[in-house]
Amino acid sequence: MASFRRARRSVVSAVFTGFCWAVTAIALAALALILWSLVVKGVGGIDQHTFTMDTPAAGSVGGLRNAIVGSIIMCGCAMVIAIFIGVLAGTWLAEYGRNSLYANIIRFLNDILLSAPSVLVGLFVYEFMVAPFHGFSAIAGSVALALIAVPIITRTTEDVLKLQPTALREAGVALGTPHWSAIRQILWKSAGSGILTGGLLAFARISGETAPLLFTSLNEQFLNFNLTKEMASLPVVIFNDALSAYDDLVRLAWAGALIIAVAVLGTNVLARIITRERRPS
Amino acid sequence: MNAVNAEVYEQHTAEIAPETIKLHTRNLDFFYAKHQALHAVTLPVVEKGVTALIGPSGCGKSTLLRAMNRIYGLYPGQRATGEIMLDGENILDKKIDVATLRSRVGMVFQKPTPFPMSIHDNVAFGVKLYEGLSRAEMDQRVEESLRKAALWDEVKDKLRHSGLSLSGGQQQRLCVARGIAVRPEVLLLDEPASALDPVSTAKLEETIVELKKDYTIVIVTHNLQQATRVSDNTGFMFLGRLIEFAPTTELFSAPKAKRTADYIGGRFG
Repeated sequence: MASFRRARRSVVSAVFTGFCWAVTAIALAALALILWSLVVKGVGGIDQHTFTMDTPAAGSVGGLRNAIVGSIIMCGCAMVIAIFIGVLAGTWLAEYGRNSLYANIIRFLNDILLSAPSVLVGLFVYEFMVAPFHGFSAIAGSVALALIAVPIITRTTEDVLKLQPTALREAGVALGTPHWSAIRQILWKSAGSGILTGGLLAFARISGETAPLLFTSLNEQFLNFNLTKEMASLPVVIFNDALSAYDDLVRLAWAGALIIAVAVLGTNVLARIITRERRPS
Repeated sequence: MNAVNAEVYEQHTAEIAPETIKLHTRNLDFFYAKHQALHAVTLPVVEKGVTALIGPSGCGKSTLLRAMNRIYGLYPGQRATGEIMLDGENILDKKIDVATLRSRVGMVFQKPTPFPMSIHDNVAFGVKLYEGLSRAEMDQRVEESLRKAALWDEVKDKLRHSGLSLSGGQQQRLCVARGIAVRPEVLLLDEPASALDPVSTAKLEETIVELKKDYTIVIVTHNLQQATRVSDNTGFMFLGRLIEFAPTTELFSAPKAKRTADYIGGRFG
């Protein structure tokens, strides 16, 4: 009887393990197919003009220069805004607000914002920054992206600060350091790599966002550094060109997608390296 | 709970000449929200001496220590009532600036807490807050503090290395150096040796005895032998009350309260 039970148990175990294995394989296969088509089609779309020329009209030669520069500018501005707000908000939640009612409300709203559809963020910024001024602008695009990045940075900052030992906080304060200086000079330093990782993950997230930009920065055929005007960005160019009927534009869209993917991959790898190196031995 | 409260505690406090007292808690009550952790504690701390606080876990000795520099103020819901007189001034007074108070009353914690910066900067950190020293003066202050903490010889060639690269015992002495670099009047030590090996503990104890010449020290310890080795006076605490306070030799050789005798005799705790 006992041996029958043991046999049954090992069969159930094997079946379950096999099932998990198969499901994982399906998920990974989908991922591999996506990456494979991205690389194959993307590499085919990259040529000597990709980084030197602006987005073309159908049938003419062109590249992605304006979109790449636009993406860098808008993501950069968005990160400056988001890091400023997110790090301070996360610090407040972890160090001052803690379990007060107000802090819990903020934390709850932040979690909602964390999973809010980005198209909503785009519409919101459209209402407040585009419609009143009768014009799309790169600033509005940056603000929309920042709104997506803020909750991520707020959350990771709070989490890593809470992981810092209480003793470290108390040791700083016990020397006569005002609480705020102790946070700035000791806790931020100690939690630095974690906060940086949060920032890089937020950057990876916003660099591929299309929906919020469609309502805010729209698109622009030419290279533009004016933040009050429309500005091209990789996701929007991909969105427009991939749906077009022209093969060269579709190829360009694939090239753009590959560039974003590589940038995001690079950011994630960077985040890993930083967290590994800065961990105290 | 009622049964405990109903019990009358036998308490004995040795007389201390008032002019030798640096810090004096009087009728100090302490609350963690609604829970009362200290009951009318009156403890004299003698200037340029070592006062040890002993007692079983949860008796309130760390709480008492944490009241002396008001570090509990970091946590809403914790409060102290009564008096803690430092040089005749009640530090529980609302008018007291806590940052200045903490620069006068330093603290070293149970676990070593080096800051994520170099050994030199760890020691200089607190000094920079209150004094504008030149580079040479600062280097001198760092050396002097590390010497007093008996760490200088081990780290003098690697002052730029991270404080986290030191061993546990060295880290703890670094924390002592950091604490004395700001030249506090009182130094609070919260079980400073409990995370250290015997060799590091012996070094730390030597440091404490040495520091007594310049500083008033209060040390919380679980280790009774340690209390006898380093302290001049000892307070025995039990259930939030100071049961007995006396010169260390007297308290350990001829305890007056039965609970003190039971505790140091190893009958409980």
